[in-house]
Amino acid sequence: MNQLRWDPTLGEWVAYATHRQDRTFHPPAEYCPLCPTKPGGFPTEVPRESYDIVVFENKFPSLKPDAPDPDEPGSALTPTAPGRGVCEVVLYSDEHDATLAGMSEERIRNLVEVWADRYEELGSLDYVSYVFIFENKGEAIGVTLSHPHGQIYAYPFVPPRPRKELEAAGGYREENEGRCLHCDLLSEEHEDGRRLVAKGEHFTAFVPFYAHFPYEAHVYARRCAPSIADLAAEERRDLARVLKRLLMGYDRLFGFSLPYMMVMHQAPTNGEEHEGIAHFHIEFYPPNRTADKLKYLAGSETGAGAYIVDALPEETAMTLREAVEGAGAS
Amino acid sequence: MILVEKEREQKDDGRYIIFYTFEDEEDEGSREDSTS
Repeated sequence: MNQLRWDPTLGEWVAYATHRQDRTFHPPAEYCPLCPTKPGGFPTEVPRESYDIVVFENKFPSLKPDAPDPDEPGSALTPTAPGRGVCEVVLYSDEHDATLAGMSEERIRNLVEVWADRYEELGSLDYVSYVFIFENKGEAIGVTLSHPHGQIYAYPFVPPRPRKELEAAGGYREENEGRCLHCDLLSEEHEDGRRLVAKGEHFTAFVPFYAHFPYEAHVYARRCAPSIADLAAEERRDLARVLKRLLMGYDRLFGFSLPYMMVMHQAPTNGEEHEGIAHFHIEFYPPNRTADKLKYLAGSETGAGAYIVDALPEETAMTLREAVEGAGAS
Repeated sequence: MILVEKEREQKDDGRYIIFYTFEDEEDEGSREDSTS
């Protein structure tokens, strides 16, 4: 059952997918459904003995291309809608214990190609308004399968957080003679320098001035490219380079493979014009505030939407930058 | 690196699966710039 219900108090859709209760939960490594299918072994999601990068439709999708009209009609105040969309799983490698941070720059570069391809293909579907590419990493985030993978949700609406960001960028553009909010933020970060973490030729990683998590980092395209599909070959290569450096720094930060949520914000695919408003970037939200303490989204964050952070971005950026430099990626 | 193959197959339960295969790119400069 895939169903959307409208929350008129917040002006946003909530997706219901009750079949997800049955999804695979922390299987032992030998029964990982994301590993290749070995001769004589149990059949996994991938019917081959090895693979490079694989994408498949999620077995337990939050949204489905053929989602029927909901049984529950709702009301004029609280309408319902089919949970129509696409949920994909992206397998980064056929090696069960690999992590994005440990992968070669070339493999990350290949992954960028796959992400761009999925953005274009899913975004071309007439019922898809937003292609949301993300990765949940680590048990602290609630990941149920440890094999290196990310996900893509192709939503039939622009989800609240990107929508709010686009509205802010649109308002800024109107009030500032067509200037891009993200380009100006990036200029300020470059000028200030204290929160920079890794700088490539075409991408910059930094802890934003207004970070919501202690070690939150944003990776911004230097050029105002609306989506990952708009990046030129050299920009894609540099994105892989900067991601690799940031991820190695994350793993060096506390001496273990750091859990995080990685999300991409870019232009919606709803047919509207987003030039100069959408600016492709990736945001990382690691939950750790120290090696053994997590930042929980508690009363203020969840109930009021107001984040309380107990470390200044200038301090955490310095620590993270030292970790990136110490990690020694080229 | 260049994409050499994108194979789309259907699984037994009807879901699709896409295999992306890459190989070393000898002449990286020859790749078309997507913004040009």
